[in-house]
Amino acid sequence: MVKAISVENLSMTYGNKKEKIIAVDNISFTVYQGEIFSFLGPSGAGKTTTQRILTTLLPISGGTADVAGCNVLTDAKKVRTKIGYVSQLGGADPNATVHENLELSGKLYGLSKDVTAQRIDKLSKLLDFHELLSRFVRTLSGGQKRRVEIAQGILHEPKVLFLDEPTTGLDPQNRANLWQHIKKLRDNGMTIFLTTHYLEEADALSDRLIILDHGKIIAEGTPTELKKKISGEAISIELKNSRDAEKMKQLFNQLAIGNVIETGMNFTIYTSKGEELVAHIFEYTKEHHIELANISLSMPSLNDVFLALTGQELRDGGKEGEQ
Amino acid sequence: MQVVRETNIFFVRKLKESARQIAWVISGLMTPLLYILLFSPLLKNITHPAMNTAQVLEMFVPGILVLLAFSSGTGTGWTMVFDLKSGIIERLRVTPASRFAMLMGGVLKDVVAFLIPATIVLVISSLFGYEVHLVGILLQLLLLSIITMMFSAWSGSLGLIFQDVGGVAAVITSLQLPLTLLAGILLPISFGPKWLQVLAHINPLYYGVEASKKLAEGSIVNQSVFVGFIVIVVITIITLIWSTRVYNKAIA
Repeated sequence: MVKAISVENLSMTYGNKKEKIIAVDNISFTVYQGEIFSFLGPSGAGKTTTQRILTTLLPISGGTADVAGCNVLTDAKKVRTKIGYVSQLGGADPNATVHENLELSGKLYGLSKDVTAQRIDKLSKLLDFHELLSRFVRTLSGGQKRRVEIAQGILHEPKVLFLDEPTTGLDPQNRANLWQHIKKLRDNGMTIFLTTHYLEEADALSDRLIILDHGKIIAEGTPTELKKKISGEAISIELKNSRDAEKMKQLFNQLAIGNVIETGMNFTIYTSKGEELVAHIFEYTKEHHIELANISLSMPSLNDVFLALTGQELRDGGKEGEQ
Repeated sequence: MQVVRETNIFFVRKLKESARQIAWVISGLMTPLLYILLFSPLLKNITHPAMNTAQVLEMFVPGILVLLAFSSGTGTGWTMVFDLKSGIIERLRVTPASRFAMLMGGVLKDVVAFLIPATIVLVISSLFGYEVHLVGILLQLLLLSIITMMFSAWSGSLGLIFQDVGGVAAVITSLQLPLTLLAGILLPISFGPKWLQVLAHINPLYYGVEASKKLAEGSIVNQSVFVGFIVIVVITIITLIWSTRVYNKAIA
C-alpha cells in the first residue's frame, strides 16, 4: 500500500517559557492512499493542530511529517500543490460569487481557464450546486456553502484532501448528504483525512481512525476493530437522584461487576450477559426504591471505546476548550 | 513572472471586493472634498491680510493628500480581520501562491484607493486656482503611494496579529493622531515651539510630508525631497518584509 501521509514522533507546543501548552504529544501514524482516515476526539485534543501542521500552516516543534511523498517543512511549496484543505471556517469569500471563488482557486493553482471551467462544471454537478454558481456565497445555506468549499479544496485534484470538522453546524440531513459526497471522492481514488468530534461521523465514514485525547493517540484501527475491543454489550444507567448512587454501587459489588464506569449520575457497564443483568437491575431498583431516569442496552459505540479508555464521555468534552 | 501574475490575481480580487462596497467608495471620495469645502475656508483668515483661495489651497492640499494616503492604507486592518475570521487567509495560505503576492495584492489595491480621490482633489483644487506642477505632482503622488503601501502593509499585519477589529482600531487610532499632528499635515510644524519641532523630526512621516510639500510647489531637486524619499522607501521596504513574515504565519 502506498503511503499518503506518514507522521513520526510529531510534537507541537505553544506558548512561551512560563506556560507551555502541549497541543500534539509525540504522535506517529500512517495514512494510506485511497482511504478515509479520521481523527476523532474532543475539542482541544490536537486534531486541528495536527492538520494545520500537515497542511504547512503551522511549524513543527519535533518529529517529521511527510505528505504525498514530500516533507512538510523542507518541501512546503510542493506539499501545497498536492493537497487540498477545507478548514472549519470554510474560507469561501462571502462577498464573491460561487463561480468567482472557484475561479480564484483555479488561478492560484495555475490551472488554465478551460480546465478551470470544465472542473467547475463537473464539480458543481457532482456536489449539487450547479444552479448556485452565480449566487453570492453569503446568500448560501450552511450545507450549500460547505459543498462549495469542498469543491474549492479539490478543484486542482489534490492527492490528499484535509477536512477539518466538515459537517459541524450542518443539520442531520445535510450531514448524511455530505457523507455520501465524501465517500464518492474516496471511491474516485482520493485520500481523505478528516477530523471530527462526532462519533457517528467517524463510524460512518472512516476506513480507519485514530482516537485522540490531550494530544496523544489513545486508540487506532478500523471502527469495527475498535468496537470489538469492548466485549459484549453496553448497559447505560442514569439515576434520577444522586443519593441513590451509593445503593447502585452496592448492587454492582453484590453482583461482582468490576467493569463499571461512573460519570456523575450515569453508570456504564460492559457485559456479555446484558439482558440478564438488566433484569437484575430492574428488580433491585424496585426493591430499594431507586428511581431511574434512563436505562438502555446497546452494542458498544465509539463513544464507549472513548469512555472505556479515558473514563470520560466524548460528548461532554466538546463543550470546553472550543477554539 | 510568477509573483507578478499572482499579485495581479490578488489585486483584482481586492479591487472587486472594494468596488462592490458602494457606501465605502462614496465615503472615501467625500472625505477629501468635505475637507476642501468645509475646512479650507476657515484657513483664509488666519493670516493678515487674509489669503485668497489659491493661497489657502496651496498650503492645505499637500496635507490633504498625505491624509488621504494615510487613511487609504490604514483601512486594510479591518478587512484583514474579516478575511482571517472567515478562513480566507488559511485557504489562500494552503495554495502554492506566493505570500508576498498575497500581501501586495491588497497593498496595491489601497494605492488605487488613494490615487483616485487624490486625482479628484487635484482636479477640483486646480479649478479654484491651485497651481499644478506636473512633474512635481507626479513625484508627489509616487511618494504618497509608497506611504500608502507602508500604512496598508502595517495595518494589515496588525489585523493578522490582533485578530480582532477592536484591537486594530485602538492601535491605529491611537497612533494616527500623534503621527499626523507631528507630521505637520494640517498646519506647518514651523508654527510650533521648539520641542514640538524636535518631536516631529522623530516621526518618519514628517519627512514624507516635507518632501510632499516641496514637490507640490514644483521644487524637485532639493534636500527635503531626497531625504523624504530615502526615509519613506527604507521604512516601506522594512515594513513589507516584516508583513510578508506575518502573513506567512497567520492562522485564525
